[in-house]
Amino acid sequence: MPALNGIRPSPAQTLPRFLMPLISARELTKRYPGVVALDALTVDLEPGIIGFVGANGAGKSTFIRILLGLLAPTSGTVNVLGMDVAAQRMQVRGLVGYMPEHDCLPLDVSGADLVTHMGQISGLPFSSSRERAAEMLRHVGLYEERYRLIGSYSTGMKQRVKLAQALVHDPKLLLLDEPTNGLDPEGREEMLALVERTGREFGIAVMVTSHLLGEIERVCDYLIAIDAGKLHYAGPVSTFTEQTERLVLELDDDVPAFSARLRAEGLDVDGNDHELRVVLRDDATYDIVRDVAAELEVPLARMEIKRHRLEELFRDSVLTGVDHG
Amino acid sequence: MAEARAAGTIYDLGYQQYTGARLGRANAVWSLFKFSLRTAFGLGRGARSKVVPIIVLVLVFLPAIVRTFAASTTGMVALIDYAGHLSFSTFFLALFAAAQAPELVVTDRQHGVLSLYLSRPMSGSDYAFAKLCALAAAMLVLTLGPQLWLFLGKVAIAKTPMTALNGEYRKLMPIVGGMVVTSCFMASVGLALGSLASRRSYATASIIAFFLLLPAASSVIRTTATGDVKRYSVLANPILVITGFANWLFDVEAKRRTTLGRADLPGSAYLYTILVVCAIGMTILWLRYRKSEA
Repeated sequence: MPALNGIRPSPAQTLPRFLMPLISARELTKRYPGVVALDALTVDLEPGIIGFVGANGAGKSTFIRILLGLLAPTSGTVNVLGMDVAAQRMQVRGLVGYMPEHDCLPLDVSGADLVTHMGQISGLPFSSSRERAAEMLRHVGLYEERYRLIGSYSTGMKQRVKLAQALVHDPKLLLLDEPTNGLDPEGREEMLALVERTGREFGIAVMVTSHLLGEIERVCDYLIAIDAGKLHYAGPVSTFTEQTERLVLELDDDVPAFSARLRAEGLDVDGNDHELRVVLRDDATYDIVRDVAAELEVPLARMEIKRHRLEELFRDSVLTGVDHG
Repeated sequence: MAEARAAGTIYDLGYQQYTGARLGRANAVWSLFKFSLRTAFGLGRGARSKVVPIIVLVLVFLPAIVRTFAASTTGMVALIDYAGHLSFSTFFLALFAAAQAPELVVTDRQHGVLSLYLSRPMSGSDYAFAKLCALAAAMLVLTLGPQLWLFLGKVAIAKTPMTALNGEYRKLMPIVGGMVVTSCFMASVGLALGSLASRRSYATASIIAFFLLLPAASSVIRTTATGDVKRYSVLANPILVITGFANWLFDVEAKRRTTLGRADLPGSAYLYTILVVCAIGMTILWLRYRKSEA
């Protein structure tokens, strides 16, 4: 879709169907014996493509399962599409499409049969369901293979069937739990492109989880990040990535002196004996680094912009300053 | 926008929102029932899934066909024996339950398909109910089908079919009622044991064990015990329970020298045993799925 390059339609344009918060959680807590999976999570999410990031075990799947009414929260409330999940979970489930993280497909059924069947379970009459199943399988690129048994599909194809079955009943919200799991780099790219197309062309709100920030930030409008059940960040994707970009400097010597000078200039620096990581605020950061290098006459062996993997990000707690939780 | 349309419309028909009816949970249960009933017979599945259903179908229908054929050529109407055919079929029904009950419930759990169902407008109890009805309906095909064949055969080979129908139609009640009860028994035993197992092979093994080890245990009790314990020990043998039930249904006196003849229990004892086992099986199934999480 060439028209989509450059300018992204605003969520209001793509999603005229509802203007209420998509998901609204209040003090949502889920405790298991010995573990707090979600810790007083309060967040309002608007329609669009929402990236939900957190390390494995951070509470992403728990949150999704609470949204679907599959798990009862220990305390707190959550509304999805304006409905209270605790009171109206069947209605919520009828309007939500869910793609689980783990395997969820029977092997000796064809893709078309499974997707049709799942459409019927979600309330569509057989003929509509069969029609939409074919349409959705075309959308995910499995039109030719739809009558083959799922057992003969590759991992990538299975992921696509999982997406198609989540879409067959025309949900208003798609919950995709780690859709790129188990895929090779090319398959990941394709799946993300598919997620983006689904969100933009279909006008369906999407929440996609990942433990890899770098991977999903490209397709999302908003990000929420959680760590150990606590909300770390929620907001537009642009603000988030600015916070996370760093300039990595490789130096041959004089590292302590160099970092001391950078700090004196007001930059946020950490690193080890031969490598420094400088938080990239704006273009002025480059100028400061250049001036300091010239002043100290230290040769820069390498300089690159690095976006941190989420795990590192949380470890370094770069985000503490913007903690909305 | 015009540019977008020019570039996009050639290939992209656009996304069609669904504006039709959204049916409720009853529709979901009905769809799962139909889908599972087809699964029980391997329909819409690979060739391997059809092997056991076809073998069992042949094993329960062929003797009925042969009996009718023999009765019509020899003129010996006594060859058409409803009770005899049911007790003969019991083992094959057990085989079907052992093979197909796991196919209905264990594979869904093992492959995670259950999580797809439960994330839709369907509760765990809805799921269990649909599965139970599906397996019971499949069993009904295997029990009621041959019995109806025998019934129609008996009427058709009589010299005056109308008179035969007049005398025989009273049998329809025990045939239909009895086969429904038997089917529920087989289905609830199969699914209750299947719902407890984590793998298909364990489920199959436990169902086979139910139908093979219980008779063994029953005969051990029978040889060691005396008096009423000895008599009632036949109720621990599911195969004999079905035979006793069939005899009671069709008013057949058990032969004196058989286990059932020696036990000489009232026919209703077999019915109550079946109903109690059904109730236990259904409760296990319901408890297992009531709070089921994916």
